[in-house]
Amino acid sequence: MPSHAEASEKFIADAQRTDWHDETLWFVREKRDKAAMVLREWEALREHASQIKDHTLANLGSYLQAFEAKAQANGIHVHWAADAAEHNAIVHQIIAKQGSKVLVKSKSMLTEECHLNDYLANKGIEVVDTDLGERIVQFRNEAPSHIVLPAIHLKREDVGETFHQHLGTPKGNKDPQFLTEAARQHLRGHFLASEVAITGVNFAIAETGEFVVCTNEGNADMGAHLAKVHIACMGIEKIIPKREDLAVFLRLLARSATGQLITTYSSHFHKPREGQEMHIVLLDNGRTRQLADPKYKNSLKCIRCAACFNTCPVYRRSGGHSYHQPVAGPIGSILAPNIDKKANADLPFASTLCGSCSNVCPVKINIHEQLWFWRQDLMAAGLAPVGKTIGMKLMAFTLAHPAIYRIGGSLLRRFSGMLNTRLNPWYKQREMPEAPKVSFQEWYKKR
Amino acid sequence: MSAREQILGKMEALEPVNHPGNFKGASVDFDFQASLEVVGARVLTAEALEIEFPRRRRYDKTLDGLSLAEVEVLEIDGEFGVAENGAIWLTEEAMPHRVAPFICQHLVINVSKIVPNMHAAYEELKKPSSSFGLFLAGPSKTADIEQSLVIGAHGARSLTVVIRA
Repeated sequence: MPSHAEASEKFIADAQRTDWHDETLWFVREKRDKAAMVLREWEALREHASQIKDHTLANLGSYLQAFEAKAQANGIHVHWAADAAEHNAIVHQIIAKQGSKVLVKSKSMLTEECHLNDYLANKGIEVVDTDLGERIVQFRNEAPSHIVLPAIHLKREDVGETFHQHLGTPKGNKDPQFLTEAARQHLRGHFLASEVAITGVNFAIAETGEFVVCTNEGNADMGAHLAKVHIACMGIEKIIPKREDLAVFLRLLARSATGQLITTYSSHFHKPREGQEMHIVLLDNGRTRQLADPKYKNSLKCIRCAACFNTCPVYRRSGGHSYHQPVAGPIGSILAPNIDKKANADLPFASTLCGSCSNVCPVKINIHEQLWFWRQDLMAAGLAPVGKTIGMKLMAFTLAHPAIYRIGGSLLRRFSGMLNTRLNPWYKQREMPEAPKVSFQEWYKKR
Repeated sequence: MSAREQILGKMEALEPVNHPGNFKGASVDFDFQASLEVVGARVLTAEALEIEFPRRRRYDKTLDGLSLAEVEVLEIDGEFGVAENGAIWLTEEAMPHRVAPFICQHLVINVSKIVPNMHAAYEELKKPSSSFGLFLAGPSKTADIEQSLVIGAHGARSLTVVIRA
């Protein structure tokens, strides 16, 4: 697996495309600003949401049990999964009982985290992703590059070519309206035929045992309402205490994500419809470990709006795939090391620590601080990239020994070519400043 | 040990923190009609609706058994609208099937009550709730191809709202 820096190098090789990616996401960030600033209570809302999440995380055990009891009373089957393997096995068992070979799934980052599609494919079951962006990347055997805008790394020409190959649309047609219509017709067939539908969960309400799914396309609803069996997969951190808390979160979610006032559909699933079977799978997969660590606990507040992606100067110029994780961007970079420290040791370093992510986060997660905490932990665990470790040790040694600092400084001033080489990653894509002839100390002594 | 016991067992030692209570101080100065336009819905008078969609199907029990995929224009009643974002609360009882407002080609919703914001909306929803309900704001849409907005992704291609006294 190439590291973030290696994968980014490939991404930015196409400068024009990098600029386009950068500007497109910044445009989404600006839409978010407009939608947020309309509400004079915006900052108070963020604070309130953050506090509701603090309260929920502190009482998560009792809220999960309350949710389970209510949901069961509502006729929903509740399952618990300790890890991805158990989650996938539970989902498979439900599908196998139904005997389905093809099913529809709306957007769920959790099923990406569990690699559910691959798991089911190995069991001979085809998953049809129904979110337009997800269907596009699925056709291309790619992963989503953004949790809200899964195909944001692609241009319309790419989508036109993909649909030409998979849906038989005319070659060269790249009109978004036309391509969306082709996907609508193609997926409508699947919606009408599927007996099983999988959806994610945006919020689960302990007080009522209901869960809320938000989409703009209506694909979650098309799938769930037409299927005999609805399976909703959620992480245990998606619980909120009361129904009225939804007012706070629904106001924040879409405005933060895309600058919309609210998603087109915010569906409240309370009980299965007559004759329907409804399941909820509650997944841990490292979340309880995150919860027990005061440094990282706050990351569980995330409502997956991706505002931190859109504002991040590193994400915008390196693309989602460089993060080699289902959840990319700043939030992904603090979630992923919790699941696998070694495999994701590069991600907390894929940041300038500018703090813009924390500033836009609707639930006030201290993302940039947690990135910094992870860097320290990874360094201590000996998992940081080798170059960084050597560099940091050398720097620490030099700064701790004034004599060596002075000698090193004067050497580098005379032979600045030592730094301006391709061996120095900072030198790539940058022009280094001229080194001054004398140091401050030398100058000061002469006066 | 089951996954349930494992998960809950890890949460026993957590220190409780208070819920901040209801949100206070929310803005109330929103225009429902303006918000509807932002989310891509059209507002028509009852008279204009007759001219625009003379052959629509209004939901009543007789629609049961009809092939929903073939309903071109469906008219249903919303419980209330939310001025801040143009969302309309719909419940299962007001529609022939849960999938109805999604699967029809064009949707018409009648609304007579409007609340200012989402906090007021959930005040309305305190009473015993329906088995399925949703906030619907505008027609189905997507911007998944190069961020160009396309109306009519999977759900209704248009939403027309009639505000009735």
